[in-house]
Amino acid sequence: MSKMEEEPDPIPSDADSERHGVVESESGSPDVDAEDQFPLEWNEPAENRKEPGDRRSVSKSVEKYDARKIVTGEATYTADYRRQFPNLAEAAVVRSDVAHGHVTDIDTSAAEEMDGVYAVITPDSDVVPEKPYTSAGQSYPEPTPWDLTVLRRKVRMVGDPVAAVAARDTQTANRAARAIQVEYEELEPVLDYSAATEPDAAQIHDGDEIENKQPGHDYERNLQSSFEGEIGDVEAAFEDAAEVLETEWETPYQSHCVPEPHTTIAHRDEDNRYHLISSTQVPYHTRRQLAHLFDIPIRDIRVEKPRIGAGFGSKQAMVIEPITLALSIAADRPVIYETTRKEQFHAMRSRHPMRMRMRTGVDESGTLQAMELDVLSNTGAYGPHGMTVAGNVGTKPLPIYPRVPNVRFAADIVHTNLPIAAAQRGYGAPQGHFAVECHMDELARQLGEDPIEFRTRNHVQEGDLDRISAILADDDSHARRIRSCGMAECIDRGREAIGYDDLEQPEEDHLHRGVGVALVAQGSGVAGSELGAAHIKMNEDGSFILQVGGVDTGTGTDTMVSQIASETIGCEPEDIVVHSSDTDIAPFDYGAYASSTTYITGQAVKKAAEDAKRSLLEWAARMLEESPAALQVVAGGVESEVTGERVSLEDIGYESIYGEDHREQVMGEASHATDESPPPFGAQFVDVTVDEETGEFEINEIVFAADLGVAINPALAEGQIEGGEHMSLELAVGAGYEFDEEGTPQVLSYKQYGMPRSTEHPPMQSILVETHEPSGPYGAKSIAELPTNGVAPALGNAVRDAIDVRIHELPITAEKIRSALEAAE
Amino acid sequence: MDLEVTLNGSQERLEASPADSLLDVLRAHGYTGAKRGCDTGDCGYCTVIVDGEPRQSCIVPAKQTDGATIETIESLGRQEDLHPVQEAFVENTALQCGFCIPGMIMNTTAALRENPDPTRTEAREAIEPVLCRCTGFKKPVEAVLDAADKMQDAEVATDGGPTAASETSRDEGDGS
Repeated sequence: MSKMEEEPDPIPSDADSERHGVVESESGSPDVDAEDQFPLEWNEPAENRKEPGDRRSVSKSVEKYDARKIVTGEATYTADYRRQFPNLAEAAVVRSDVAHGHVTDIDTSAAEEMDGVYAVITPDSDVVPEKPYTSAGQSYPEPTPWDLTVLRRKVRMVGDPVAAVAARDTQTANRAARAIQVEYEELEPVLDYSAATEPDAAQIHDGDEIENKQPGHDYERNLQSSFEGEIGDVEAAFEDAAEVLETEWETPYQSHCVPEPHTTIAHRDEDNRYHLISSTQVPYHTRRQLAHLFDIPIRDIRVEKPRIGAGFGSKQAMVIEPITLALSIAADRPVIYETTRKEQFHAMRSRHPMRMRMRTGVDESGTLQAMELDVLSNTGAYGPHGMTVAGNVGTKPLPIYPRVPNVRFAADIVHTNLPIAAAQRGYGAPQGHFAVECHMDELARQLGEDPIEFRTRNHVQEGDLDRISAILADDDSHARRIRSCGMAECIDRGREAIGYDDLEQPEEDHLHRGVGVALVAQGSGVAGSELGAAHIKMNEDGSFILQVGGVDTGTGTDTMVSQIASETIGCEPEDIVVHSSDTDIAPFDYGAYASSTTYITGQAVKKAAEDAKRSLLEWAARMLEESPAALQVVAGGVESEVTGERVSLEDIGYESIYGEDHREQVMGEASHATDESPPPFGAQFVDVTVDEETGEFEINEIVFAADLGVAINPALAEGQIEGGEHMSLELAVGAGYEFDEEGTPQVLSYKQYGMPRSTEHPPMQSILVETHEPSGPYGAKSIAELPTNGVAPALGNAVRDAIDVRIHELPITAEKIRSALEAAE
Repeated sequence: MDLEVTLNGSQERLEASPADSLLDVLRAHGYTGAKRGCDTGDCGYCTVIVDGEPRQSCIVPAKQTDGATIETIESLGRQEDLHPVQEAFVENTALQCGFCIPGMIMNTTAALRENPDPTRTEAREAIEPVLCRCTGFKKPVEAVLDAADKMQDAEVATDGGPTAASETSRDEGDGS
């Protein structure tokens, strides 16, 4: 139940690894050592596995921690902190209106003379760092090139920041920004990403100016990075195959449409430290990145995330914090920068458009022998998350078929003069699932097999050794044993819920109804590149304060950690006060991305609570004159199993702090890091009716069945499913930006963008399939990103089922269906 | 310039500049429950009730509201004593990040005054102005229906009359 975040994969977590070129790993013969290296058994403490009836807080739909302040309007988001800063200045940013060019002159004189303008900054200002950095909020060093500067002398897209102002109010700031005159020497923009690497395409970046370059880069060809991995011998397998199918797929830009536009307040506090209140998913990464960029010691920066109007990956990024901090230093006062919706579409972040080619080979018996996926990804003007997102395109969906012996996966990530693509919920997996799951559906149909039966023969099962998720690593160390897998039950229950086996056709001859399925997988954190930490302390009244770095982006992280702490200690969830996401107060956490929070942060909380419980039982043992082994926590107290005597948590709280003989606060702390990232699984079903005369279609119902291990909070997990499906529905039918011939996005507001409203949503059913993941806290895996992967391919497959046409390019529209029908005639 | 308004039941004089939207003025005076999401009247996060109608306050010029009666999210319940609509959103887990929820609740409140017994389709329409990105709208629709039940129950309780079932006309095709 963590959430909406995204993430890098094993390959790229080593940024220094120029070593990934072509990576081949041995395969074929069953690996005798694999049983030892990747055992199915997991050394799981007995108390981690509880039957439903034995669970105190876990598996309960406990009220969301912040629900009441949200519904009363008291929840405080970054922009709501304005009143705490009486001398707060408002920021406005001057952004490029050309897609590609050099800034030749910036005239700030008129703006500087305006009454109420406190600071005007340009790339030449002393407070504006010169050095390159990346906005990608990833572990250090980031598996992303440092190709951004805070303000830009060369502009590479419409929306690149060139100058900024701080003024007494928004109107003055905007007026001053408009008064700044910028002149450009325009260059030819690169707008078609398929042509970006051609010799006649303009060069967008000078590789000499970029640090921390990634494997396979070739900036003369606008190539941000490039990689390839292979298991077995794919070419030989295709030569031997009885049948080979090759298909091509395309997906568009997608906006996060994050409800709260990126907002940051920066100021210098009374201790002469820099304090940022910011709508971020990654407060700790941002603190480090700001420190490096501005040459400020980490200890002198505090990043605090208050309530946040969601992230979905758009805020797994340090997008506006540097400009805000620079303005605050220049103006010598607190500054707030609240971005506009137009800036969201033009200058923040979005989902990578991709073109993909998928090829499979089967033998005489119809068994899959080879899979190959080639990806071309458009990272736009800059490359944050470019390589790692592309990695997930293959390493998330292909392992759904882990027993295929020959697999090849390759990608080129290219620059254009279009908006920056970066992390977005699913992190490449939605694009990859569209290609893989539509392809598998087509393959099944061409083999004359029911698409579900075909998948049932081939899909992942408990006990499988998945090497494909590590296909890009240079050794097998990130291969993973599948220790929990409910895919079969997801298919069975989803199939029944959607009515797959008794679908009634409409009476009208021109209407055709069909059902499509897509299988989906994700991860639970970035394998081998995560750290979560937690601290918990007991108050006199027997309550606890839990400090945790994990970032609640609205998903319910704060609720989830209170449930895990309560389950572990034996107290009630409401006895846990949660403080999170403040770098001064909470222990470290990598942040909210990669569906990591429940699995990583949740396990840190469990371990910290176990630590506190040991101390609690020692106190109870001292007070009851019993051995700790004879004690158990019961409602509100600790009881001896031997004598039945009981001491309340409150009595322990007071005694531990004010006792006469001995005083020691009950506390616990822990970190959690792991190489594991068990995949959650799911099956998405879409029921559609298509009009063969117009191509118009109506989605009758969608069903998603999810194997997320044990759901810590079922209601919140359902919310993740329904919200993930919403974003996938948009990718399926509404996403995409239009550009003019000069590269200017034609989307200025929600009006020009296809985000589905409540009345455009089909009925939805969410099914939670419980499995038990032994490496997760109380058996939990992730859920946040998984459901972002399925609606687009399942709708494509449903349309194919209904009227025998295949749409290869998202979004799926009536016009495309009509054209395909006409072409088929 | 100053605006004289009836704000959440009391007479208020609010300072405003000619270019301000109603949202600007409300937020500047501490009514920050209404959120700024677009400034173009598309997202619905800033919805307040003006003279009985739900309005996207970011595109309502402040000067046009002189003399108006305005209700914001702050006029509803307290955390320990929630309004039935607020209670329904909490109990149905119909919220995640929460940024759109004041807008959801104000649209729901206005809609239920007009139509206290909505069908499921009407419940969907009640929150159509609000672009929620987190929930997929399923739980909010359930919350609208539950809020209608809660408010009818409250009315019945106040009247002391029999608890008439209002569970009738719900299922019209949209079975989510």
